[in-house]
Amino acid sequence: MKIDLPEKETVYRQNRGGLEMFHLDLWLVLLLLALAALGSAVVYSASGGDEELLWRHIIRLGLAFGIMVAFAQIPPNQIRIHTPWIFGAGIGMLIAVFLFGDLGKGAQRWLDLGFVRFQPSEIMKVALPLMLAWLFAQNTLPPASKYLLLGLGLIGLTSGLIIMQPDLGTAVLIAASGLFVVFFAGLSWRWILSAMVAVVGSLPIVWHFYMYDYQKQRVLTFLNPESDPLGSGYHIIQSKIAIGSGGLEGKGFMGSSQAHLDFLPESTTDFIFSVMAEEFGLMGVLVLLTLYFLVIARGLYMATQMQDNFARLTAASVVMTLFIYVFVNIGMVSGLLPVVGLPLPLMSYGGSSMVTLMISFGILMSFHTHKRLLSASE
Amino acid sequence: MLHSSGAYQTETERKQQRRLFRNRVLAAFALALLFFLILLARMAYLQWFNYNQYHALAEGNRISVEAISPVRGRIYDRNHVLLAGNRPVFALKFDKTKINDIETTLSELGTLLPNLPAHRFDQFAERFQKASIHRPIFFSYTLSEEEASRFAVNNFRFPGISLVSKLQRYYPHGKAAVHALGYVGRINRRELATVDPARYAGTDAIGKLGVEKQYESTLHGYPGVQQIETNANGRVIRKLETTPPKAGQDIQLALDIRLQLYIESLLADQKASVVVTNPNNGEILAYVSLPGYDPNHFVDGISQSRYQALLSDYDRPLINRVVNGQYPPGSTVKPFVALGAIEQNIISPTKKIFDPGYMEFKGHRYRDWKREGHGLVDMHDAVVQSCDTYFYELSLDMGIDMIHDQLYPFGFGHKTDIDLPQESVGILPSKAWKQEAKGENWYTGETIIAIIGQGYFLTTPIQLAKAISTLANYGEIVRPHLNLAAPSPDKQQIPIQRIENWDQVIDSMVDVLRIPRGTAWRYARDIDFPMAGKTGTSQVFSLGQDEEYNEEELSDRLLDHSLFVGFAPVKNPEIAVTVVIENAQIKAADMAVKIADYYMNELRNEN
Repeated sequence: MKIDLPEKETVYRQNRGGLEMFHLDLWLVLLLLALAALGSAVVYSASGGDEELLWRHIIRLGLAFGIMVAFAQIPPNQIRIHTPWIFGAGIGMLIAVFLFGDLGKGAQRWLDLGFVRFQPSEIMKVALPLMLAWLFAQNTLPPASKYLLLGLGLIGLTSGLIIMQPDLGTAVLIAASGLFVVFFAGLSWRWILSAMVAVVGSLPIVWHFYMYDYQKQRVLTFLNPESDPLGSGYHIIQSKIAIGSGGLEGKGFMGSSQAHLDFLPESTTDFIFSVMAEEFGLMGVLVLLTLYFLVIARGLYMATQMQDNFARLTAASVVMTLFIYVFVNIGMVSGLLPVVGLPLPLMSYGGSSMVTLMISFGILMSFHTHKRLLSASE
Repeated sequence: MLHSSGAYQTETERKQQRRLFRNRVLAAFALALLFFLILLARMAYLQWFNYNQYHALAEGNRISVEAISPVRGRIYDRNHVLLAGNRPVFALKFDKTKINDIETTLSELGTLLPNLPAHRFDQFAERFQKASIHRPIFFSYTLSEEEASRFAVNNFRFPGISLVSKLQRYYPHGKAAVHALGYVGRINRRELATVDPARYAGTDAIGKLGVEKQYESTLHGYPGVQQIETNANGRVIRKLETTPPKAGQDIQLALDIRLQLYIESLLADQKASVVVTNPNNGEILAYVSLPGYDPNHFVDGISQSRYQALLSDYDRPLINRVVNGQYPPGSTVKPFVALGAIEQNIISPTKKIFDPGYMEFKGHRYRDWKREGHGLVDMHDAVVQSCDTYFYELSLDMGIDMIHDQLYPFGFGHKTDIDLPQESVGILPSKAWKQEAKGENWYTGETIIAIIGQGYFLTTPIQLAKAISTLANYGEIVRPHLNLAAPSPDKQQIPIQRIENWDQVIDSMVDVLRIPRGTAWRYARDIDFPMAGKTGTSQVFSLGQDEEYNEEELSDRLLDHSLFVGFAPVKNPEIAVTVVIENAQIKAADMAVKIADYYMNELRNEN
């Protein structure tokens, strides 16, 4: 027996009062606000008390939250229907960037549409997980091998186009968010382990044939920061000094000598965590990591409460993408990972990546709060 | 199949899927927890276990890293005469992290050292504001010994400014060969974005033009690193590790500075280009573009007024005429065209054409430079006397595309790939070129003037130098180059149909200088060595139909350009000389003969 429900007849449960009326999740909103507030304070301090910069930061945050709320209002079906189109448009724009993109700092990442200039790779951070979830939700999980291969093909296509820009960092992150969908869709552990072995095994080949000199340099610098004390190794040395000198309790708000004496580079953006760690110490770090962890825990819990595979896969993948961002940024500034230009979500000043992140959280909340009364079609 | 919420699933399947998903979420949760614990452990390691170490680094003492700039490679001429070296100078180094109010600091500095160019303070303050904190900023003024010692005594009043002795680029011959050498200047933001900033730490100079720019990565070297331990006030406590810089490599050019200086003095006050090459290998012995300027003024940052004067000079000294000056080649192309015509069997070299002083074509009269005409001329006479009418007739038989195809291999219409950063392409007209550049069809009338090097035809002096070298070489193509160590590309040879054709063209070029009918005979009467060449004149403005041309009535700016290409000796040539003189009141041929004579009689014996 098969019951078809046309789109327009999909009925959503009436929301109970409170934030749910606006399709928002109270816990998630509170956690995100707490992170944003902490971030604003540190941006202010890192900039040496620049109020103008602080206001610009707050306005951008407000905008990003507004976008999140707006996306939370879109019914999941609408998102689902448009997913292939959005993804197709994203791929089209990546190709357009390849053909006529602007060269900024030697990398071809920007697309200029005349009225607005943006990086299509940002769109793909949301569009790729959505597309894969859409694809795998076509049938029961775990996905049959033809869906799996198609999915991996889409991941390869997307990250391949971004690598050509060349933007290896973003390509790897986007591929990771796609691979999380594959993981959540139930790819067998045997395949996962084999893939991991294969990746580790192929690293020397990638190193020799597929990496640009500047990328190799970053890895080498990471392995031995002292080898490049004038370049990015300098950033890591200074960042570790800032973090380590914060101690248990930190030097207090506005007390970051390393940032204020300009020893620390990019202190309001990529290296904001170092400022925070210097000013608030290990205690502050503990609070921050806990906040992020709670966001992830709450997000994953919400994913388990969802009613269909499309929503589940998207939600879980989006949450794990945030996790990757946090881990990579903090790992980078503390010298665990190579330097990749990546902001700390909700803490760093500005950036279009914050908008993308909040869009994905908006979608997460939309999925969570639009619950169907009838789930017969599932 | 594309159902609104996926495929139809049974209750069992739904339960299975939910269980699978929950397991995966649990695994992801565990993964996140594990990685957060790793981060926390890393933080504890840095902030707790190693706190004392980092605390000491950050608070009490700090390690600052200073770059030591490498010594820039020197540039020599072919006989090891220094063309660009380095000399020690005193300068003021500003550390942005220690200066709060640049305006006050500068005004106090101005009181202490009244000779400082105070009018440049504003400009400097602006540069200072924009500069990165990670790079030292030098005040572009070279202090005298007396000023240096006066500053040293008062240094305590200026925290953040230090007196440094640094090596500065120096061009001992001033203006000589400036367009070949180029100069170094202060590195700007745009350039900084194109180089590895770590390699330029501690340096504020970069090659801007010429050889200095072309071979920047060879000349620059690699900076060293000095780690300095300072206290919180920035006072040096001790110097730690030092990695010494690696000096840039020296470069030896093919130029002979004696020949260069001789030519520059010979043509002083002219607007001219001269290229002297060794036709066998393309080495450039002299590279003259006049007027020039003194590159030493640019090294320390040129003053606004001086730069403005150079820019607004009507003679345009900043233009590198040899590679960027584009001139109609005039009659200098005639030997090349003649060679192409006889190699392609368009005309027999012995065939005579009657020249009444003009050629009629479609109701237009194309005039010869000689009003009364040359009478009956064959190819030899046409080159020797530079008979235009002979070539007008030839152009109708060849057509523009054959002219193009015959001239192209000699280097016309494309870059010579000389080892300099900028080079103009010139124009070697063809039907395809006109269609692309102007979207118009070609007219036969345009072929008639193209064949005598007028009309759309444009060449740079370096292209002419390459072409005459190739001809002297019997078609072996060489790349003109300044750096003796420049790699030479694989040798290419223009296919030869009959070697006698080449002999005949070269013989006619010898007679240009040897026999009284030759257009350059009167300048070459006294030379004691065989030389071949061809004169040329290119019109600066076009003469209307049947208009008379009166040299005295024209202002200097409208005088024709005078050109000459030639080589000597004729057998086994050692030099090829190209001379282009703008609005000439002296003749290029005259100068070229003098240059060849100087080489043959002064330099050749000494070497």
